[in-house]
Amino acid sequence: MSPVLIATLRVLAAVGLMLLNGVVLIYMLRKVLGHLHVRLGPTELGPAGMFQTLADVVKLLTKEDPTPGMVDRVLYFLAPLIVFVPSLAAYAALPFSSSIIAADLDAGLLFTFAILSLVTLGIFAAGWASYNKWSLLGAMRSIAQQVTYEVPLLLAALPPVMIAGSMNLADIVRAQQGSVWFIVPCFPAFLFFLVAGLIEANQTPFDMSEAESELVAGFATEYASMKFGLLFLSEFSNTFVFSALMVTLFFGGWTLPFVPDALLSGVGGAVVFMIKTYLVIAVLMWVRGTLPRVRIDQLLSLGWKVLLPATLVWIVITGLAVKLGPALIGGVS
Amino acid sequence: MDPRHLVEHAGWLTDTPPTDVGFVPASLRRAPMGVDALDTERLIVNMGPQHPSTHGVLRVLLELDGEEVVAAESVIGYLHRGIEKLAEHRRYNAVGTLMDRGDYVSGIHNELAFALAAEAIMEIEVPRRAQWLRVLMAELNRIASHLVWYGTFGLDTGAMGQFLYAVRDREALLDILEDVTGQRMMFNYVRPGGVVADITPTAVEKIHAFLSTIDTHLDEHDQLLGGNEIFQGRVRGVGTIDLETAIAFGLTGANLRASGLGFDVRKDRPYAAYDEMDFAVPMSSDGDCLARYLVRMGEMREAVRIVRQCIEGLPEGEFMAKVPKVLRPPVGEAYAAVESPRGELGVHLVSDGSDTPYRMRYRPPALYALQAAEAILPGTLLADAVVILGSVDVVLGEIDR
Amino acid sequence: MRPDTAALARTLSAVGLKGIEIDDVASLGVVVRATPSNVHTVLRALKESEDGFEFLVDLFGIDTGDAVDVVYHLRSFGRDEDLYVKIDMDYGSDLKSVWEIFPAALMPERECAEMFGLTLSGHPNPKHLLLTKGSEPLLLKEHPIRTAEEVRNR
Repeated sequence: MSPVLIATLRVLAAVGLMLLNGVVLIYMLRKVLGHLHVRLGPTELGPAGMFQTLADVVKLLTKEDPTPGMVDRVLYFLAPLIVFVPSLAAYAALPFSSSIIAADLDAGLLFTFAILSLVTLGIFAAGWASYNKWSLLGAMRSIAQQVTYEVPLLLAALPPVMIAGSMNLADIVRAQQGSVWFIVPCFPAFLFFLVAGLIEANQTPFDMSEAESELVAGFATEYASMKFGLLFLSEFSNTFVFSALMVTLFFGGWTLPFVPDALLSGVGGAVVFMIKTYLVIAVLMWVRGTLPRVRIDQLLSLGWKVLLPATLVWIVITGLAVKLGPALIGGVS
Repeated sequence: MDPRHLVEHAGWLTDTPPTDVGFVPASLRRAPMGVDALDTERLIVNMGPQHPSTHGVLRVLLELDGEEVVAAESVIGYLHRGIEKLAEHRRYNAVGTLMDRGDYVSGIHNELAFALAAEAIMEIEVPRRAQWLRVLMAELNRIASHLVWYGTFGLDTGAMGQFLYAVRDREALLDILEDVTGQRMMFNYVRPGGVVADITPTAVEKIHAFLSTIDTHLDEHDQLLGGNEIFQGRVRGVGTIDLETAIAFGLTGANLRASGLGFDVRKDRPYAAYDEMDFAVPMSSDGDCLARYLVRMGEMREAVRIVRQCIEGLPEGEFMAKVPKVLRPPVGEAYAAVESPRGELGVHLVSDGSDTPYRMRYRPPALYALQAAEAILPGTLLADAVVILGSVDVVLGEIDR
Repeated sequence: MRPDTAALARTLSAVGLKGIEIDDVASLGVVVRATPSNVHTVLRALKESEDGFEFLVDLFGIDTGDAVDVVYHLRSFGRDEDLYVKIDMDYGSDLKSVWEIFPAALMPERECAEMFGLTLSGHPNPKHLLLTKGSEPLLLKEHPIRTAEEVRNR
């Protein structure tokens, strides 16, 4: 097979996974939120309402797609794509199992963060191009949020990298295979990563740029039909990528303790990985269904005054432990 | 046929867009905290009438400097139905239907205010059982109304869960009210002379069932929202209305009590059977959104206490006084107020001796609350503005009438 | 509950207002009959007296058939008393805002003016409150409630 064909197939696989993920996640969100909220969620269409999301996809695809009068037309059409494409590309470096990785990059972690930070550009473009004040406010918030949280997020991901000694996501998982999952030695880093990641994924309690009770729908106010569908989908996809990263960095990726590696090298590992990721997502949904939203100034001060120094301090501690630990305890890690 | 505008008024879209917002004179506005040296532009946004968190059809023009509110002006009247005018063309027994549609979240209180005013002019002696039933229904309605407020206030702060938990409890209350009055919201239950129907045995059972769970449910609400760190961060010290401002702008009810003045119509001007009830009036002197939250949550617990007393001590007897079918009060004027969930809801009734009111003034407590909220909005953040408007509990049906 | 009429008369005469009519209406309460020209002085005197009437409960109009009665419903929390101040306004005359004495009057005054066809002066924002621009004074007795048929043929 030619490399081009392989690349195309991989992209198609990623798109398929993303769409499937979107459909499953929306159904899951409805059911999880429903039961959290003493109601049932969708029940009518299909067994336990499973086809409700499909019906909604059809609705989104066939809905009228009005363009508001005074928008910046080029940017308005481009923005959902600018949001969507990086979300898609972020799937490339995720190690579903030791053999199922679209692109086994040496700097996979860095690549994923870099590509995800492009999403904010798209969100800003959407808010700017919409010619709507609420959208603009949402866009401004998303930039402020991005500037504040990109750094702590990356810093929070560094301790596992330092212990594993690699930026390659698959290598980070392999490093956990031999010893304990990194959530044990890096528990504070895990908490920082969780908070920064919630903000990065634009999730409650930090969904500043949407903030439906304040900004109507933020940057997405003027979008309808499939353009809104793309924005919506990429939000779910970002949540998935963030959860997958968390699984990779802190929960041992595709590995399971006491299970021989041979069983988990192929599809089995991918199944384990997906289950772990969905569990993390379920926790995020639980957060989403329960907590109120913080205010933008509280969010920013949390980022600059708490998370940034805390992550830096934890990096120093990890560094010392990595360098001095073997000498002190006799080479455990 | 008829070329006039159907929905929008004639000046729609031809009015010049607003350039200056707010009637609060510049000298009284708080100084903006932004840097003036930068060349920035102020943003005027329309919050409402179709904004997710304006509790109906409230429209607030906000002048923003970044995220900070510089000036605010509320534009109301989208729900104006002319209740005061229509009441002049209804017989006394039929005005209740209009009153329900004023503050549609707490209909019993509206009807009660009108009935009390009419009774004051006519000097009707209302049977004791009717008085107790009025208190019982009013307090059930108060809990239902506060639950709606609690749920939407949480929505305003961005939480989602507590709303449906509030609806769960409210549903039980509406069932009870429906059982007794036949309606879930538009009751027309309290009439001049008493109430229109006696309490049913099934309703008593439902009330007992409700009372057996409500205490734990209220604890649940307190934990879910009130005990939340983020929520407290959003409401503590936000939207402080000091007592002076509260009195100046005519704030009443829970909002006034949260600012430090314990005036409760039920205690200070007892009506119906409230003088026979044993209950406390929750108070706070902080005046911020958290204080208003705590006062209202406390009021719910007190309302539960009153309901318990009512259901245990409900006296026997008639539920309606002997009044003629068509009421013709003598010439006169009376003011009657009730403590509605939103504050002092008053009805100023003028009678000219005919079978319809000559003038019926409905004192809307939420209108005054809205004024006070509007006055303290400048200097807050956009996110706080939403919370402040939510915390004073405005119902647009009552503001616009 | 009901203020002492003699004490009220003393309060008002202390600021030079002689011969103001003070009624005690049985079903309502004590009503002070002021005029559009002296209502500011009356309200200020009542507010600034000891334990004064610092709370404006409500402000509204009544179309009596000869004039528009504007009612200021005041309350003193210190004395726990309610008081009504009424002024007779000619139709279409000028209602002078009292918002500097009672900021609570800001919105009710706008409503009163639009509903009774009065003009509003001294008010920082004298726009209509509830009704659209150019609508008729709704609460005047001469303003009828029309049937659907009449509206269609209007």
